[in-house]
Amino acid sequence: MPEPEFRPELLLGVLARHGVRHVLIGGFAGVIHGSPYVTTDVDVVPDTDPANLERLSSALDDLRARVWTQDEPGGVAFDHDGVSLGAVRTWNLVTDHGRLDITFEPSGTAGYDDVARDAVHLVILGTEVDVASLADVIRSKEAAGRDKDHLVLPVLRRILAENERCPQADSVASRRSANASTFRRQPSSRGPLMPDT
Amino acid sequence: MRGGSLIREARRRAGLTQVELAARLHTTQSAIARIERGGTEPSYERVTDALRACGYELVPRLLPADDADWTVASTNLAVDPDTRVRRHQAALRFAEAGRKALTDARA
Repeated sequence: MPEPEFRPELLLGVLARHGVRHVLIGGFAGVIHGSPYVTTDVDVVPDTDPANLERLSSALDDLRARVWTQDEPGGVAFDHDGVSLGAVRTWNLVTDHGRLDITFEPSGTAGYDDVARDAVHLVILGTEVDVASLADVIRSKEAAGRDKDHLVLPVLRRILAENERCPQADSVASRRSANASTFRRQPSSRGPLMPDT
Repeated sequence: MRGGSLIREARRRAGLTQVELAARLHTTQSAIARIERGGTEPSYERVTDALRACGYELVPRLLPADDADWTVASTNLAVDPDTRVRRHQAALRFAEAGRKALTDARA
């Protein structure tokens, strides 16, 4: 079975419809922050709250998620529920809208709460998504330390430096969008976040 | 990149709070917070000390400047996130069509 067309907005839309709390991270988050490197999968960090994992399981049913393997790029069907999903550190999946990697604790981070803290809430092509901050994308890639991460890190750091030098640059870009006002801090879904001290 | 951003990155990778890092550096949490948010620009030595306190070394390397990626990135920064994603998808579609054309040509 060939891999389906990559439609990240549809894939993330299914997660949103099921109310799955998660943060988009990795290469596609980098693309949203301005990275010139093309990627063909979506990496998400779900909240490990049991009810959230059950919602994730339902969303994966809707997406007809299969386990990606080298021998079977179209994916292998698997049974899952919230408990079984949470028992594995990383899932590499194929869905009807493209590749989906689920990671509960990306390299260099402590998981959902850690990356949700500075995530930005966006509406992209009509889909609501919490996107990890560029600093957290960099932190994760730096810790992962794979060749493909080292390749993209210089330009990500330069974008971060540019954003720090001119904090309005990115929000100016967002104001040009039809989705003006979508660049806003993610409201905490679990009450106030603890101060970073 | 600011030194404060690098310190925050290392501190979070190490799972330290600002209070814990401050204790290791014999300073205050507010001093760390000020550095991390860019209120104070730390010296190179201060940055390396802080990174070491987080368990990391800063290894400087001199590489030839290469603006190729930055040229595309700065263009991306000038447009909104919707446009960035649309361009990304257009690039993917083009690449896919190219691969198909190559396969067809070889057949």
